Amino acid sequence: MNMKTLPTTELRSLLAAVSDHGKQHLVEVEADLLQTTFLLSEAIEKLGASFMAVHEAVTEQQQVLNALLEAHKFDVAETKKLEEFKQKIGQEVNAAVTGLQFQDLTSQLLNRTIRRVNGLKDLLHELGNHSNDIDPDHEHEEIAKFLDEMSHSLHEGSRTLSGGLRRSVDQQNMTTGDIDLF
Amino acid sequence: MAKTILAVDDSGSLRQMVAFSLKAAGYDVVQAVDGQDGLDKAKQKTVDLVLTDQNMPIMDGLTLIKNLRELGSYQKVPILMLTTESSDEMKAKGKAAGANGWLVKPFDPKRLIEVVQKVIGS
Repeated sequence: MNMKTLPTTELRSLLAAVSDHGKQHLVEVEADLLQTTFLLSEAIEKLGASFMAVHEAVTEQQQVLNALLEAHKFDVAETKKLEEFKQKIGQEVNAAVTGLQFQDLTSQLLNRTIRRVNGLKDLLHELGNHSNDIDPDHEHEEIAKFLDEMSHSLHEGSRTLSGGLRRSVDQQNMTTGDIDLF
Repeated sequence: MAKTILAVDDSGSLRQMVAFSLKAAGYDVVQAVDGQDGLDKAKQKTVDLVLTDQNMPIMDGLTLIKNLRELGSYQKVPILMLTTESSDEMKAKGKAAGANGWLVKPFDPKRLIEVVQKVIGS
């Protein structure tokens, strides 16, 4: 195909489409992430409240058991069994406390992702705005220069966005973290 | 008399778990939602230990530590960071700011209590 003029109208249309479709999808991504954040927040609130209520009930139950142990003679095997239950409950409570910290970690990751999505939306918005500036009457060199500037602007915008999104959560699982005393 | 610990974290669920663990071990707990709130509460009452997160709105943990260390009453109070951050670079910054220890989330209540007892006693 031999073209003597640049297809600037098509180029503008392409850039506008990339910008519009990209933004539409990112709006959906952002909405899903916000909904996920909300659901996780509500879930942890309910889990936390239930955990506290269960722990309170178990503590009271333990007090009743202790009173019974003092008032009545239990055989050694029964007393040992009760002690084992107590230890098992203690271990599970500790495990639950560790597990219930998931929302702190996930909310930081979600927040970082939402900020990145917003940054991408801004970049695509900028791309769409710039595409309107391409004038079919411009010389080839002017259009080439303009596209080059647009690429540079997007590159800078992307670099700034990444720079402001430092990763603060590297945990890959809910295993307890290291402890350093200075 | 029970020792008092100031727990600073912007996550409500994390504060709840920290407070639960420390109270179960017999400590009194004062809670703060960010570094500025922590600083305000620390000024109201000198506590025995500060346990703070790093990434929080308004004022982060490192800034809180620097501010606390400038107060006469907090020059020797132990301060521990409890954060998702685990890089050596951040730990070095914490140490330079005046932190006495660095705990990476998620924490195990038993180990947390062991560390607290080691730092301030039962």
